[in-house]
Amino acid sequence: MSYSKENVESIVNNGLSRRSFLKGLAASGVLSSFPGGILQANEDLNTKIPYLGEKSYQTFRNACPRNCYDTCSIKTYVKDGVMQFIEGAQESTYTRGGCCVKGNSYVKRVYSARRLKYPMMQVGGKGSGNWKRISWDNAIDIIAKKLLEIKKEDGTLLGAALTKYSGNFGITHYGIEGMFNSIGYTTRLAGTPCWPAGIDAQNLDMGDMWCNDPEEMKDSKFIILWGVNPAANSIHSMKYIYEAKKKGAKVVVIDPVFTEAASKASQYIQIKAGTDGLLALGMAKIIIEAGLHDQKWLDANSKGYKEYKAYLDKEIKLDNVSKITGIPLAMIKELALSFAKAKPATIWMGYGMQRHTNGGSMIRAIDAFVAVSGNIGKYAGGARYGHLSTWGFNYAALSQPKPEGSVGYSGPEGAKGEFAQVGGAKAAYTDRFLNINKTARELLNAKEPKVRLLWVACKNVFAQDFDRNQLIRAFQQLDLVVVADQFFNETAKWADIVLPVATQFEEYDVNVSYWHYWLTLNEQAIKPLFEVKSDLEIAAMLSKRMNQLQAGSCTFPQSVDTKAMMVKEFNPGIYEQFGIKSWEELKNGPVKAKAVIPYADGKFKTPSGKFEFYSDKALELFGSALPAYLEVRKPYDKFRMTSPHSRWSLHSQFQNLEWMEDVHPEPYVYINPDDAEAKMVKEGDTVAVFNKQGLLRVKAKLTDNVQAGTLLMYEQWYNNNIYNVNELVDDTSSDMGAFKTGAPGVALHDTFVNFRKL
Amino acid sequence: MQTTSRLNDVKHLRDIFNAQNSKALKKAFDALGSSITISEEDLEVAFNRYFVGPMEPVADPFASVYLDNPDVVMSQSTLQVRELYETMGFTYPLKNVIPEDHLGVELDAYYQLLYLEEKKNITYLSELRHYFLHEHMNLWVPRFIERALSESEHDSKAITFILLQLKSLLIRETTIQGVTA
Repeated sequence: MSYSKENVESIVNNGLSRRSFLKGLAASGVLSSFPGGILQANEDLNTKIPYLGEKSYQTFRNACPRNCYDTCSIKTYVKDGVMQFIEGAQESTYTRGGCCVKGNSYVKRVYSARRLKYPMMQVGGKGSGNWKRISWDNAIDIIAKKLLEIKKEDGTLLGAALTKYSGNFGITHYGIEGMFNSIGYTTRLAGTPCWPAGIDAQNLDMGDMWCNDPEEMKDSKFIILWGVNPAANSIHSMKYIYEAKKKGAKVVVIDPVFTEAASKASQYIQIKAGTDGLLALGMAKIIIEAGLHDQKWLDANSKGYKEYKAYLDKEIKLDNVSKITGIPLAMIKELALSFAKAKPATIWMGYGMQRHTNGGSMIRAIDAFVAVSGNIGKYAGGARYGHLSTWGFNYAALSQPKPEGSVGYSGPEGAKGEFAQVGGAKAAYTDRFLNINKTARELLNAKEPKVRLLWVACKNVFAQDFDRNQLIRAFQQLDLVVVADQFFNETAKWADIVLPVATQFEEYDVNVSYWHYWLTLNEQAIKPLFEVKSDLEIAAMLSKRMNQLQAGSCTFPQSVDTKAMMVKEFNPGIYEQFGIKSWEELKNGPVKAKAVIPYADGKFKTPSGKFEFYSDKALELFGSALPAYLEVRKPYDKFRMTSPHSRWSLHSQFQNLEWMEDVHPEPYVYINPDDAEAKMVKEGDTVAVFNKQGLLRVKAKLTDNVQAGTLLMYEQWYNNNIYNVNELVDDTSSDMGAFKTGAPGVALHDTFVNFRKL
Repeated sequence: MQTTSRLNDVKHLRDIFNAQNSKALKKAFDALGSSITISEEDLEVAFNRYFVGPMEPVADPFASVYLDNPDVVMSQSTLQVRELYETMGFTYPLKNVIPEDHLGVELDAYYQLLYLEEKKNITYLSELRHYFLHEHMNLWVPRFIERALSESEHDSKAITFILLQLKSLLIRETTIQGVTA
């Protein structure tokens, strides 16, 4: 042998022999003789370079920026520039040192072999799979020229559209909208597929969406988890629920599906989907009749209680409530009365419940029940849905002026989304807003001018938007589709250009939650891998190129540093709310906002200043002043299909990672055994699930966790699998959402299908 | 075996796996001496489908994928290669950007080490080169070649040619070592 394994390994991994080897190397003439290539001779050879075992850890502060209640505060351990592992920050009592399995897999996500590594262009047409590498300069040049061409030909930039949502909720990521603001008036896919009907409902009732601190739930005496599954999707909240339960509180889960949370509750009540509002109305009637309502609070703090009570007296028949909801009347009575007797008591409403054609009305009915019970404005009480009260940043990255002389749409201006609503002076023009929940249809139908360029960021359109087949047609008719992402997903498949973007570990940002009350700094922990760039850097490159081609055509800064941009987002209000003097204090760990009990002062931001059972605004916008029972969408096929979140993924994120693929390698349709038997389907059989939208082939799992008459499939994106539940989901709107988020929500749980064995 | 050809083969293969565009790829491919005619674009499209992406490539050109974990880069093997390069007296401007165990980088290291011996008669790193070849490259590159060659769906003559050149190179280098040891 011409080498000794032991000898070489000792040279490489042992400090002493390595030092003497390096001394000899310097004398050998090697360094001046290397021909040079990617690797270069180390001219400053230090014979004391520590070997791996001697290199020490550096730690960084990070945040999980995904669309999740928990928005974990993370501590990242890096050695020699390489992330080794992460842990939940100990400083946050909410994260309390632990992340979920998805968070714990971040090292594998950052270093996934599957990450998008280079800007690339699909040269054989969308969906051809023929890809070429292009330099960043080339990619940006193509996009900039296309934008200027659109402006020249149309006279406006309304032919350029942006769709961006919740893939990264970091505050500087609103710089993506900022990039589109900075080029002129453009087209935006506006609204939110997530929670809009509920946001409107809470705003109609209380003038805001503002939940109590989840950490208070430990002192609640009665908790209803209504259509929410924190055991899978907000695991950090569970410790407070367990603590309350240990102290004697009753925890009840109301859900059409027997969820992980249901398995941990004191009681599980299976309700028929879309009838939750009626149950809440019935429960309110029961406690009012029993004299357990909080008359004093209602007198002082509410508007329209009389009309509401009259409605309950006249229209709500308890036998009917029992029949329609599928819950025995005795159980409804017991639930309502024991809730009313426990103080404080709280209800946490999930987002799935409002994804029905009557979703907003159901949230209003539950709000009303909590109000009647006297639990609004109370510590450890509340009708919990979410909050944006810690989101008062500057939105500096977002707020870019339009180039001088920009021409846009002259229609009415409205809300564009639930976050970051930055007001400005009234302009002669606005952007053009298309409903994000009808993306396919709206892209196809937009005229004068038609949409020619679509930029997709922080979003996997094909996994999250509805009617896949129509989406393919919509993408195919666009001149240029740019997808900025971290992985090659189905949306990237239909792109012309893919741009690889940084993970949160490769850039600075700052994060807050729409559920808990912590503020977390996100530091750049490692260099961006391969050729990935942050969304802000991409915007800066675009600005630079556009200004070279046409001076003044883009106002976005032409070079950015993500740290400097992050610093610009802070203001005295944020410092005051979180009790810090400077963002730099966040290097020591996350901080929590000063405690406030929502509505404890009896002040509501409604027109009347009170809790509104009767809302004139609701009457004006949605045709009903009261949270009256609204029947859910009528079935148009044999089985209801529900497509909730899975615990193995966050929307389309994480499922493609090894750990998740290990435990959950493929999609299933979950079928009640009675329904399966009727169709001769056995566990593991492949079935076709179909409706007027399309057809999916998927393996069956039999479980009575789902009710007879209902099929369940998780909304997910699987790597190398054409499964996509939106093959079957149409884009029918829910009742509310247009008031506060710019577009109605989508009634995706009111999808109906049939199935057969293949 | 001609030293010049030995060195050149490593160099051309290195340049193929480090190419950043069609032109550079085609130039290095032509230098390998194939008689296959293929356009710059067709070659790159095939090459990307096999080794680059953006879709999951047929065979990832990273040692870690074969030695540590099929889904990740920048893992234990990568850091071991990093240690080796540092001990060899290299610095790597793309440290923490492109993993050190990317095939193109490893071929670059191998080329430079061979160059020292063959062109400069400096043998100080010879033992490390042999170690790198036998205890590292030879543990994964054959598996990489095998995975890529077993792909029939996207069967490409040009890519097969590259892979077979790489295979002969590896056999040649490991055998020469055996003879001269």
